[in-house]
Amino acid sequence: MTQAGETRCAALVEFEKLLAWWLGELPNAAEASLEEHLFACAHCTRRMEELVGLAQGVRAAVRGGKVSLVVSAPFVEAMKQSGMRLREYRVGPGGSVNCTIRADEDAVISHIGGSLGGVTRVDVVQRVSVGGVDEPELRLEDVPFDPASGEVLFIPGAAALKAMPAHTMRMRLVAVGELGDAPLGEYTFVHTPQ
Amino acid sequence: MPQDSPFAALDDGALARRVAAAGGSPDSAAETELYRRLAPRVRLYGLRHLRDRHAAADLVQQVLLMTLERLRAGGVREPERIASFVLGACRMTVLEMRRGTRRREALMEAWGDRTEAYEAPEPLVLDPDRLAGCLEALSERERSVVAASFFADKQADQVGAELGLKGGNVRVIRHRALARLRECMGGTP
Repeated sequence: MTQAGETRCAALVEFEKLLAWWLGELPNAAEASLEEHLFACAHCTRRMEELVGLAQGVRAAVRGGKVSLVVSAPFVEAMKQSGMRLREYRVGPGGSVNCTIRADEDAVISHIGGSLGGVTRVDVVQRVSVGGVDEPELRLEDVPFDPASGEVLFIPGAAALKAMPAHTMRMRLVAVGELGDAPLGEYTFVHTPQ
Repeated sequence: MPQDSPFAALDDGALARRVAAAGGSPDSAAETELYRRLAPRVRLYGLRHLRDRHAAADLVQQVLLMTLERLRAGGVREPERIASFVLGACRMTVLEMRRGTRRREALMEAWGDRTEAYEAPEPLVLDPDRLAGCLEALSERERSVVAASFFADKQADQVGAELGLKGGNVRVIRHRALARLRECMGGTP
């Protein structure tokens, strides 16, 4: 909608193009042309502000531990470079780890090892048990993984984790292929609150 | 801006002409309105090219105060093309800021005590809890791509290299995920 005093938008820019501008994906000439449009078009400026608000909100959600994520090693590096305080655990197939998160820590990174060579899709199946009572099983489908390092990097939502009582999380990595599921490993995280 | 505002009928160019016509007796209401309209555009440019909200705020201040001063002094040749003038000033200033020839302290010394009359609209801030819920509703792959794209503002090819995907696939996943996020957040078409 055009607001009072606004020049009507001559040609609404596609959201995908606004996104490409924000991420620096446009060639120079296209970038310059889009900037000319943005400076003359209050409507597209508002749409761009919405996109930037979304980008900044996503960053804040990650920093604030409001979402769980499966990420890459460079992402973990970017978290460290941004000043986030991380606690990291490494666990291999059949392994168990005692874990926690302190109030002044921003995230826990679980390095879940497995033999991932030749695997095309990995699902993570997790079940949390509190006081001996199992919660429903949760399946995270088609998560990112690095076959070379043989790791899935899982980040639970830190805000929720800090609020949880002592619990155990059992996790399975499953390779999904044309012939069905093939187990890659089982892992146990025994969490004690600080 | 309310529909009954005295500036409702004026586009940016007409508003700039009005500021310029006032000359040495500044039309503070018109200047304030022009500042209010242009500040979000300059801020976005600054955020995109400087990736720092403080630097972007400095850019808004410097570019728009210089623009108003030039308008008053008759130094803008085509006030009706004020948007192009401001974009040019942004490009020049960002280049200087990157080269380090204009430090923040120098900017503040030049323009820092002259902002009382103008207020830039607050940047859009989304409801963090609602956004977190919308993010959790995405698939794992979508959430990973969105987080990788925006946490450090990475291009599709970089995100693809990190997640074992082709850049084109990242764009498709990103597009779908953002559409779902915007719908979940009640976005603008």
